[in-house]
Amino acid sequence: MNTDLSTRPARTATADRIGLLPTGVAKRHLNRAVLAGAEPPAQVALLRASAPVDDASARWNSEPVRVLLEQAMARFEGDRAAADAWLAPRLHATLRLTRGEAANKDLWAYLGLIVAPDYVIWRHRPVVADEERRTPTVQSARFVGGNNSQALARLWWAAELFRDGADYAPAEFACGNQDVLNTALRLDIMEHRPTAQAVLRVVRRLADAGTPRLGDHVNALTTAVRVARSTLVFEALGPDELPDEAGLLDWVADADSAPPVSWDRLPDGPDDGGVPAASVATLTALFEDINTHLARARDRRSSAA
Amino acid sequence: MSRTLYPYPVLFGRPELEITRVRVDGRQLDFAKISHSQRSVALDGIGGTDDEKWQTATLDVRATLPEEEIADGPWSELHCVAVLEEAATETRIVRRLIKDRASGTWQGSVPLHRSRHRSRATLGVQVVAAVGDVRGRLIGRSENDWVLDLQEQLPVRDKEIDIVEVDFRDGPHVWLRPFKDAPWFIETDGDMPTVYLNQGVDGLGLLLRGNGGPAEKATAALVNAQIVSDAWVTMFHAAAGDLETDEDGNVRVPPGWRESVLLAMLPDVLPGLSPTDALHELLARREDGDGWSTLQARVQYAASLRAQLPKQLAATLRATTLASEGATR
Repeated sequence: MNTDLSTRPARTATADRIGLLPTGVAKRHLNRAVLAGAEPPAQVALLRASAPVDDASARWNSEPVRVLLEQAMARFEGDRAAADAWLAPRLHATLRLTRGEAANKDLWAYLGLIVAPDYVIWRHRPVVADEERRTPTVQSARFVGGNNSQALARLWWAAELFRDGADYAPAEFACGNQDVLNTALRLDIMEHRPTAQAVLRVVRRLADAGTPRLGDHVNALTTAVRVARSTLVFEALGPDELPDEAGLLDWVADADSAPPVSWDRLPDGPDDGGVPAASVATLTALFEDINTHLARARDRRSSAA
Repeated sequence: MSRTLYPYPVLFGRPELEITRVRVDGRQLDFAKISHSQRSVALDGIGGTDDEKWQTATLDVRATLPEEEIADGPWSELHCVAVLEEAATETRIVRRLIKDRASGTWQGSVPLHRSRHRSRATLGVQVVAAVGDVRGRLIGRSENDWVLDLQEQLPVRDKEIDIVEVDFRDGPHVWLRPFKDAPWFIETDGDMPTVYLNQGVDGLGLLLRGNGGPAEKATAALVNAQIVSDAWVTMFHAAAGDLETDEDGNVRVPPGWRESVLLAMLPDVLPGLSPTDALHELLARREDGDGWSTLQARVQYAASLRAQLPKQLAATLRATTLASEGATR
């Protein structure tokens, strides 16, 4: 063994492993050429500024994430937004992060600028009409941004907040609706799992009933639910179980032996306890009630007009 | 229960919350890590060899409610919950407390799982009751939440800005090279603001550590005040830049230090406005550009007040006057 290497800790990040890129450095590299997709970010300089994660686990390998994102780009070439529902659970099951780790913006900056800048451009470059002369650019928050804006972080957090224990099906549904994905993720009410599941139940019923302009309904509903939350304690009406910490940590530790996620079947998430069905039922009834009131208010407005 | 008006009867008295004991993976946490006056618990550097590896801290809590008011009030099904949350990790844990008949207080324990947190969690208490035929109404909440800090070794509430001394030209941070002649650089993109001091500026570090005579000490204080003032200006703009509005036109305040900086400085920047109005005004000025430039002078002023610049300048002027008088005498 090379003693020189073993005595000196590996201080710089390498592209085959996921590392941490300070967001300040990352933002300085987001010039117009990068945001327009005309030039890739300066990988060598970015790697030099990054730090490796001090953990030998296979979950920090960048290869599986690359493979997944390339598959997403190939599958959803014609409908980029549809990639979200496919990708969110699979990304979540590939990365195997805790919330504490996922709250680190440097991690997402590394993924956005070093591992997958092509995906960020592919997914978020705006479509503009030909007469528009300016080159369309991606918002910088898609590369370096918060839980609800960064291109990969938003998918991971959606999967995390909407999964029902090991079952990703609700998360897949949530990410299949851009209004749920975009508005709901910005609201702190979704931190409460029974609330999140109950909102999805109402949205699913509206979708199944073929409700026109579903997006408007979803926005009105989430707003009304948030207003209700300022005087009602949802956690008291529909209590949640404590998360099973051991189940989550086992799943994270299993990353070394887990096979790559299936492309055609939903993977299993961490088995950290399902959402209590009784609590979801109570809150679903409450939100259906709120939705009925909204519908009545709408009817009154339209008949008055 | 606060400035907000509620369309139903709420408690006038404030619920109070105390953390009575903290166990980390079953072992009792050193009392020095818990500060009752600062309402703060430090969870970093906890004894043992494997200190970074603890998994769960169990917080034993005791809440005192305005019981007389409750006894006479119109509420039923009243109960009390402890709420542990950290916005950065989208985590909120709510635990019911049980009323202890002997002491009349509400008690229970709340688990804090390390994996679900990153830097700072807060712990507060809420009182929930049925009002009329509506169950689950929020009728009271504690005002001063406890702070549980995963990155601090000492239980202090106010975090200090990180100060890093590096050589801008030859040091490890490549991105600092263009600023090689600057004495300091303030970075506000991370979890905490960081001030980089340039070791390439001869004597700066030595001066700031200040072991010289009165004139050197006064100069150090002045330079320090200038750095702190710059830091406040930079932090204010970083926080103001992160303000957003949601669908209903409410201003969303960025969490963490950005919120603290805005709340601390806005009374001096936009005096006479309530915090909410001041945030709206700030966002409007930023977006429309109208009155943004006039705001700058006030931001400078508010920052210099926070940095005690007027006081330090007066002290330095006095020290240099005395020193020159001493030289001519």
